[in-house]
Amino acid sequence: MNSTGFWTFTRREIYRFLVLYNQTIIPGLLSSLLYIIVFGTTLGSRIELDNGIEYINFIIPGLTMMSVLNQAYQNSASSIMQGKYLKFIEDILILPLSGFQISSGYIIGGTIRGLISGIGIIVICIILTDFTVHNYPMTLFYLIIVSWTFSAFGVIVGVFAKTWDAVGSFSNFIILPMTFLGGVFYSLDMLPPFWRNISYFNPIYWMINGLRYSSLGFAETSPSMSFIVCISFCLIFNFIATLLFTTGYKIKS
Amino acid sequence: MNAIEIQSLKKTYHGGEEALKGIDLNIPKGSFFGLLGPNGAGKTTTIGILTGLINKSSGMTKIMNYDTIRDFKITRKLIGLSPQEINLDVFFSIKEILTFHAGYYGIKKKIAKENTNLVLNKLGLYHKRNSKARELSGGMKRRVQIAKALVHDPPILILDEPTAGVDIELRHMLWNYLKEINKEGKTILLTTHYIEEAEKLCDNIAIINKGKIITCGSTTNIIKEKSNNIIEIKLESLDNIDFNLDYDFKLDHSSSSIIIKSKTVHKDINFIINYFKDKSKIIDVKVINGSLEDAFLKLTADKNE
Repeated sequence: MNSTGFWTFTRREIYRFLVLYNQTIIPGLLSSLLYIIVFGTTLGSRIELDNGIEYINFIIPGLTMMSVLNQAYQNSASSIMQGKYLKFIEDILILPLSGFQISSGYIIGGTIRGLISGIGIIVICIILTDFTVHNYPMTLFYLIIVSWTFSAFGVIVGVFAKTWDAVGSFSNFIILPMTFLGGVFYSLDMLPPFWRNISYFNPIYWMINGLRYSSLGFAETSPSMSFIVCISFCLIFNFIATLLFTTGYKIKS
Repeated sequence: MNAIEIQSLKKTYHGGEEALKGIDLNIPKGSFFGLLGPNGAGKTTTIGILTGLINKSSGMTKIMNYDTIRDFKITRKLIGLSPQEINLDVFFSIKEILTFHAGYYGIKKKIAKENTNLVLNKLGLYHKRNSKARELSGGMKRRVQIAKALVHDPPILILDEPTAGVDIELRHMLWNYLKEINKEGKTILLTTHYIEEAEKLCDNIAIINKGKIITCGSTTNIIKEKSNNIIEIKLESLDNIDFNLDYDFKLDHSSSSIIIKSKTVHKDINFIINYFKDKSKIIDVKVINGSLEDAFLKLTADKNE
């Protein structure tokens, strides 16, 4: 089983982003704080939602999720890309670890980074605003499952990407638009029916909805559907990431 | 017992390049084995397949009798690899890199730290333990590569061009160290472009070219069988020598010397000296023993023709 090997590798992945905390943890927290100040405090007082929730509280779960999934994705994608670029991924590929263990090591590293970011933002929001968490265990569950999902997605992109641009492109052209269109800053009630229906096909919308439900005790749509979408995407991405490291597709000749 | 066993190993890369065309190789436990060949011959592909970096197309590879695919978790623990290209983790200090590396192979943290200090001392790197890879010289980085291969104390060491770009002093230091650990029982598989290095270190050698093993055996036998010794006789004058006559040995000449290639120099030398002393006054006789480089060039040239 080589559990020592697996945990050493996982520890390395966590240690990697902790050593670089001013490049990994701090910027995510800072940008979320700026979003909260700019959108929540300055614009929030002018926006009224039909559901009766204060605008600043409404956007906090979305902003948290935005940071969590970005941090998790960036961590595993960049760790693999750096390994490929500097060739030390070869050290990983020759280890007495299974494809499942290697992909899990990368995924856990990314998940922890996403989780630190998510918890950090929620703590800051509790301190700076009147935001409170409705259900702590369920909030933690959504932070972990979404972080895990996007960390696994980062592993997949990291394996396929040939350049740093490719990693950045996925983030800028796919994840970022999907996040903004996933209801971070607005309620779906504000959208025309056509765009509202389109948003239902966006998995990130359901992830944000899940966290909104667990933290505010309010859901725009079915919380059960959020749970199913989160679990499904987590399993699919996890399976693909494991398969890539088991077969060596795109990483072994 | 063989430390490494390879049977009918083939590798065809995507795109159709046939890197290995069915090689067979047995490397005895405890030996210092050289795998030599020109660029693109298939050395790194062979090593890649043994270590799990490259997927084979067909054939069988075993480490200490364990299959490298079925029993990969066992075989990979038995191997320490120092790859051709320097690939050091940029985030951590040398000490951290090595401690992590030992841990990946299942070594507990306390022992991993002890092993790290041991290899750092042995390779003269202890004073650099807190430095990062980018702060080291080329020779130091090369030594860290070797330290990485050794830190989990594997019985088999695979060194792919371990002294490339290393100065002569450090190369000799590494040679002595490798000889020492080989004597202690480690099996070493070495690939190198420095043929002199292989001749000095390896007791057995295989030469690979264009994906095929063209010769394999003890270094001494390969040199004896495949290379020629050279006898250089300096004569006062070459006027009386008829180069068109059919001699029993290969004859060549420079301005004042006769150059004779012979496999059995000690048998031929008396006859040759007696033969030429009748033709002209002998000023000097030099015998240059055959080398592995001769044998290598001859064998790879033969196969290229």
